[in-house]
Amino acid sequence: MKRTLISALALTAAATAHAQDLPDLQSGSDWFKAGETTIQELIAREQNTGRAKNVILMIADGNGVGTNYATRLYVGQQMGKLGEEHVLPYETSEFYSALVKTYNINAQTPDSAPTAGAMNTGVKQRFNLINLGGTAIHDDCSTVAGNELTTFAELVAAEGKSVGIVSTARLTHATPAAVYSKTANRNWEDAVPEGCTAQTDIAAQMIDAMTSGMLDIALGGGARYFVPKGTATPNGGSGHRADGADLLTAAADAGIQYASNKEEFDALEMTAPILGLWTDSHTSYEADRPATEPSLTDMTRTAIEFLSQNEDGFYLEIEAGRVDHANHAGNFARTAADGMIWTEAVALADEMTSDEDTLIIVTADHEHAIAFNGYCGRGTPIQGLCFGIAKTGEIHSDDLNLADDGQPYSVISYANGSGSILREDMNYAGVRPAVTQEEAMDVDYLQQALIPMSSETHSGEDVAVYAKGPWAHLIDGTIEQNVIFHVMNHAVNVE
Amino acid sequence: MFTRRTFLTASLATPLLARPTLAADEVIKLRNLYDRKALSDLAKSREGKRIAVDGYMAPPLKAESAFFVLTRRPMSVCPFCETEAEWPNDILAVYTKRIVDVVPYNVKIVTSGVLELGAYRDPETGFLSMVRLVDASYD
Repeated sequence: MKRTLISALALTAAATAHAQDLPDLQSGSDWFKAGETTIQELIAREQNTGRAKNVILMIADGNGVGTNYATRLYVGQQMGKLGEEHVLPYETSEFYSALVKTYNINAQTPDSAPTAGAMNTGVKQRFNLINLGGTAIHDDCSTVAGNELTTFAELVAAEGKSVGIVSTARLTHATPAAVYSKTANRNWEDAVPEGCTAQTDIAAQMIDAMTSGMLDIALGGGARYFVPKGTATPNGGSGHRADGADLLTAAADAGIQYASNKEEFDALEMTAPILGLWTDSHTSYEADRPATEPSLTDMTRTAIEFLSQNEDGFYLEIEAGRVDHANHAGNFARTAADGMIWTEAVALADEMTSDEDTLIIVTADHEHAIAFNGYCGRGTPIQGLCFGIAKTGEIHSDDLNLADDGQPYSVISYANGSGSILREDMNYAGVRPAVTQEEAMDVDYLQQALIPMSSETHSGEDVAVYAKGPWAHLIDGTIEQNVIFHVMNHAVNVE
Repeated sequence: MFTRRTFLTASLATPLLARPTLAADEVIKLRNLYDRKALSDLAKSREGKRIAVDGYMAPPLKAESAFFVLTRRPMSVCPFCETEAEWPNDILAVYTKRIVDVVPYNVKIVTSGVLELGAYRDPETGFLSMVRLVDASYD
């Protein structure tokens, strides 16, 4: 500690002395002053080596470094800024950060099941598996027994902590399922193959986790997997369970409260476990969300309020699941709207908890095949067409940049996906269609892609992780994804 | 020219869900036929009239048919989002004058036809629609 202090003083003195030798236009510039301020903030950082009572793991699905960059600009531009200078709530010097390698044991390009599993168990997993290690094989029920991993939720629940999940995806989808389930196939959401007795389906595992007392609050989408086929769901659709099991009744019989819309959500008591399912499948994209569905921030607030009642603390995983889905659709406007409310949920979780006793980890599970074209001027709308760079001032010129084909192009392109300019009816040749800025800014616009695929893919590119609270400083450098579990595990167990 | 100032003004005044008023001969955006999950006033006002709607042709349910589904965005099927094919809420059933000459699902088309409202189950495919264009053509 003493050495750190001395080094810090030396650094400050050196910087100050150096500044005196610089021309005023340099040392007096706002950039220079802001840089010095950042250094002071970094020097003032204090490592919190206390024990974490609470852990919140926040995962924006598919929000790799590139997608997060685009969300930063979008959020800033929605606030009236140029965008590039904007700082998202987890991008301040209060958060430590690192890069994360997201590959799976057998996949260069990861999927969301083993990535969330790695963060929840401390070991990397195989493609499409959730929380099975060793010799487990995808889609093979006979490899389940003996390969089950113990999750962070199970560890901390055994120590008396409460556990919660919040997601804008189905609660049986990969990322939330990694908190409570163990499955040889992430798609076994409400059924397992005939003859498979080594595990139950993911929805059944979730209700088991709630009725056993391991999972205390679960908020998100996906009611159809808890309701028998041929029976109406509380959301007005049809149940999907072929086995006829009525898991919502089983939950109610165990004293678990249920809410199916915002009105029921607002009327929940804070005294009994909570299950909330707003939709039959994933919740709505934020850009389309009706007032009858609680938002990601609504769910975050209630989950933290509920879990904070436990004096022994809690573990809460929060997922912005539809950032990923909109990227898969190649539709950045919806990615951005879901990304924006995600950043608000992070800010809210930070506000509602204390840095003294709550470790907040903010990350993504994987990146997408998203790319950024140049050379665009400052303030170019991130979802729109690329404006040129003005010679004076900051803001872009009013001229759209043109490619060699004479057509403008959007800042964002996807390497593959349904926005492909190659046409099946032309033997997969293609010409980039003419696009106006108004069309490119439309909520339904798909940024142009190259390789034709009905669903844009993930990529194996790194994601970032940001952390605040006890032992957050362990988040540093370039780490394997499973290390995130070890930071959480160390933080809650340190003496 | 679309400037930053107009972008900001537009985005502040009319967020993503703005519903523009339409001239009689204007191509209607498919989403403007709906107001959330219900039919929009625009759709009700155009019932029985010939309108033009832009969108994308979903992969046909049946070959050699005079029926297709128009979607507001390309109908992508994401194996990591869905465990089975799912139709979005806001689609338009289209009954064409001629057997459909299939257009790839990601090529924008404009479809013209007479707007019909109300539940109708297609006898061949079993597809239930609430909004349709009939006697339709497209380009």
